[in-house]
Amino acid sequence: MATTQMSQSGSLKQRIEKGFHDFGLFVFDNKLKILIFMLVVIASLFSQLSKITIDTSSEGFLHEDDPILKVYNDFREQFGRDELIMLAIKTPDVFTPEFLTKLKNLHQELEDNVPYLDEVNSLINARNTRGEGDNLIVEDLFENWPKTPQELEEKKQLILSNKLYKNLYISEDSKFTTIVISSVVYSPSSNEENIDSGFDDSEIQADNNQAEPEFLTDAENSEMVRKVHSIADKYKTDDFVIYSAGSPVVVDAIKKSMQKDMQTSTKFALLTIALVLLVLFRRASGVLLPLLVVILTLLSTFSLMGATGTALKLPTQILPSFLLAVGVAASVHLLSIFYNKFNDIGNKREAIGFALGHSGLAIAMTSLTTAAGLLSFSMSEVAPVADLGVFSASGVLVSLLYTLILLPALIALIPLKQKHDKRTMSRTRFMDNILLGFAHLSTNYSKQIVGISAVIFFVAFFGLLKITFFHDPLKWMPENWEARQATELLDVKMKGTNVIEVVVDTGKENGLYDPTIIRALDKLHGTMDQLSVDGYDVGKTMSFIDVLKETNRALHENRDEFYTPPDNRDLIAQELLLFENSGSDDLEDLVDSQFSKARFSIKTPWMDAAGNTAFIHKIEDEFKQTLNDNATASATGMGSLFGRTMNAAINSTKVSYIAAAVVITIMMIMLLGSVKLGLVSMVPNLLPIVISLSIMGYFHMPLDMFTMLIGSIAMGLVVDDTIHFLHNFKRYYLKYNDVNKAVEDTLLSTGRAIFVTTVVLSLGFFIFMTADMANVIRFGLITGTTIILALLSDLLLAPALMKIMYERDKA
Amino acid sequence: MKLKILFSTLSIVAFLAAPIGNAVADDSKARAIMEKVDARDDGDNQVSDMEMILIDKRGKKRIRKIRSYTKDFGEDSYRIMFFLKPADVKNTAFLTYDYDDPDRDDDQWLYLPALKKSKRISTSDKSGSFMGSDFTYSDMTSRDLEDYDFTFKKEMEVNGHKVWVIESIPRTKKVIKETGYTKGMAFVRQDNYVVIRSISWVKKGKKLKFMDMKGLKLIDGIWTPTEIHMTTKKGRKTEHKTILKFSNIKFNQNLDKNMFTVRRLEKGL
Repeated sequence: MATTQMSQSGSLKQRIEKGFHDFGLFVFDNKLKILIFMLVVIASLFSQLSKITIDTSSEGFLHEDDPILKVYNDFREQFGRDELIMLAIKTPDVFTPEFLTKLKNLHQELEDNVPYLDEVNSLINARNTRGEGDNLIVEDLFENWPKTPQELEEKKQLILSNKLYKNLYISEDSKFTTIVISSVVYSPSSNEENIDSGFDDSEIQADNNQAEPEFLTDAENSEMVRKVHSIADKYKTDDFVIYSAGSPVVVDAIKKSMQKDMQTSTKFALLTIALVLLVLFRRASGVLLPLLVVILTLLSTFSLMGATGTALKLPTQILPSFLLAVGVAASVHLLSIFYNKFNDIGNKREAIGFALGHSGLAIAMTSLTTAAGLLSFSMSEVAPVADLGVFSASGVLVSLLYTLILLPALIALIPLKQKHDKRTMSRTRFMDNILLGFAHLSTNYSKQIVGISAVIFFVAFFGLLKITFFHDPLKWMPENWEARQATELLDVKMKGTNVIEVVVDTGKENGLYDPTIIRALDKLHGTMDQLSVDGYDVGKTMSFIDVLKETNRALHENRDEFYTPPDNRDLIAQELLLFENSGSDDLEDLVDSQFSKARFSIKTPWMDAAGNTAFIHKIEDEFKQTLNDNATASATGMGSLFGRTMNAAINSTKVSYIAAAVVITIMMIMLLGSVKLGLVSMVPNLLPIVISLSIMGYFHMPLDMFTMLIGSIAMGLVVDDTIHFLHNFKRYYLKYNDVNKAVEDTLLSTGRAIFVTTVVLSLGFFIFMTADMANVIRFGLITGTTIILALLSDLLLAPALMKIMYERDKA
Repeated sequence: MKLKILFSTLSIVAFLAAPIGNAVADDSKARAIMEKVDARDDGDNQVSDMEMILIDKRGKKRIRKIRSYTKDFGEDSYRIMFFLKPADVKNTAFLTYDYDDPDRDDDQWLYLPALKKSKRISTSDKSGSFMGSDFTYSDMTSRDLEDYDFTFKKEMEVNGHKVWVIESIPRTKKVIKETGYTKGMAFVRQDNYVVIRSISWVKKGKKLKFMDMKGLKLIDGIWTPTEIHMTTKKGRKTEHKTILKFSNIKFNQNLDKNMFTVRRLEKGL
């Protein structure tokens, strides 16, 4: 049964292989035309290369139309950007004239020089509303600079007694004070030259036709962070220690590290590939041509990203070394056959035809399965993972085209000498002995190998169940990094830098004047201040209720018993009007212009995605209970993006693993022309992946933005070895009708190429272990390991399975 | 600070008008024009009703109505305002004394009817919003021409009127801090020296504010704005807009000092 199917597919296969053979001859005969054509294609692609951008922002993880991101963007549009740069300054005593003067200078310099700035806030300009006798004073805290020790002491008492400042501008032990820097929400689109157009005679509705403004870009964020740091550096002394935290800082640090890691890993990948090629082929052309092909592939892929406006994000940083490693594998398969034939017959034209006829189909099939594995990410709800899926798959296909067209044309053009290297022969013999050893082991102990594999599979399966998801960009960083240390320090000293933003919507104009709502919100301040979820405590709460309380107290001669919101609708409205008219524009960050929506900010320590999600649920529950039906409340902020990103990652991991497995199984069935053989071929493919994932489970390595990629990437790659093995096994089995002999010949011919590509690919991934970020390191380690396991699986388990299947068929 | 508030006439004009100083080596043509703008009669005693329409970036409106009385006492200017609408803040009132003496902060009192108390407010920040609108206190205030360098930019037509376009740059950081603006552009009508448009560069948040005088009437021989639009834009995006409409404008009413007292404030209209 299997044999008849195989002979049918064999004849189709033969026709395809003949096609590849003739194509090789065609390329040789038209080498110049083809080269010129390819050069034009490549040159036009490269014109897009300069458009490539980098984006490591937290919102960059989500698609632009993601509902959670939309809520967040609505929030930003209404109330301003919630991500803040927080400079915390440590000093023995905040309340000395020297320190305060220095703080004021730093504050001023930041205000004058930082780009994309919205506000700089610190003790210097903190809102100070108070009553003195019949006077109501609204001013910046240091509007009047203290001139005497006594005035300074008064200022100190004022600061220490104001609840508003605690854990916002000053730590409980008075050793830390902060400067909080917020950026504008939108990217400035300067069209100064056409300034008159600002007068439009139409009403505001016409503005709906405007181009949607862009949110502040990642590059602008970095520019801002770096300017802040360069200014802060000038002020650093032993008694003026500056820590910099907040998500813009974290994002920038991650980007810096990503750029560095990408450069390092690309360099290492090129170096490794060059070395392996040198050892393998011992020819200049054998090193330079494949390198040229993979570098062109990489640049073409980046050009495609540039042309489509797709930014490089954290997960896409693996593209360079990944494409280099995968691309070179195809070249290796083609060149190793070509050089062998060429050394034999000395005819370049024939050798090219033969190499393409022999390996063309297998190279095409392996590229397609790899692309299929990667494309399984394209539907991911995590935006950069979807990008990675699309562009790595495109890259693999570009690499396939260049390998099948450009590479033969280049070989045809350059002069080559025949070689008969004796050392190669002796090394080959040593290698052959090892491969023969595997062949004998697998065919002689086939039942035992399959049995042990089954046990391993079973044990590994339980490891899979232990896998957990974990998303926390801060924990990716090494512990000694400044951004991480500062964030962790501020979690202790200032009770956190993370803010969960709750939008309370009364649904009607002036709804916030309602004393019922005001009472509920005031009560929520109390509840939230005490809130603790999974060991995380709320550090501070802020809303317009603070404004009401301080205004009310100031109107009542600063008596503390009036530090409550008024309980009378008219008075609430009048106090807010008073505040609005007092010169402070703080209110626009706290309520909407209709007084229908309020922002309620809850500061917490930095939390991972799961922590944020739990916290947000708890908060929303509390708000719902307290507000009853008087208003709705929804929480957003960085934390909700983290939570959403993690859920998206969990969903897409499942979807992409299943999609990759199904698509690749179907491709294997089609390639092998047998359902049974196709299904069986998936066993040696899946086992290495299951083992690797179980290692993650047993050793508590979490699945995250990077490690979730392992399964589908590995599946696409691992299956290549299996294809090469089965492709050749079938050929030799038809020839000898003897499993043992077929396995021996298969391993001796294609086994070597499998071995070499495994070395290249696994090194290509192990390179990521030199990265700074923990998750990238884990990704490199586990994927590299999977590829080595795949080699073992194809050298032992695949032959053993063939042995059992074909012997049983025979019987 | 030279604060000669001409509120109800809104010589909004921002930074314009006020005592004439020694011209410095800027653009003498531009300065001559601005001196004429400054010298223009804008009345020194006025009663009017003001409707303030606040429009946010989503096009949602809030409407406030205020009755206002203004009178110049020498170089100082007194003003009292009563809220008529909305109902929540009806009878809330503000009384302001703007002093010509640059070293003297304004005096301001407010009366909250719900509290039945008046309070004196101390604030020296003029760059803050006036009643939540796109106008700042400094927009309501005349400024000293000496604080600026003027440059003549061009002549053009606006709604059929020939205008001069004049740029003003504050000479000191202090002026920038007080007004919140780093640069201004005034469109001065050639026939009557009224600034009918202006653009102000806002330091904080790098925004632009566009003032457009949509209504201008000759009342008792005084060119008087009846409708002014002020739009705050960031890039091309409108962030907020305020429309001021004036009605029942009367000059030279019999207003004496008793009109501008705390007792009058508490008594209401």
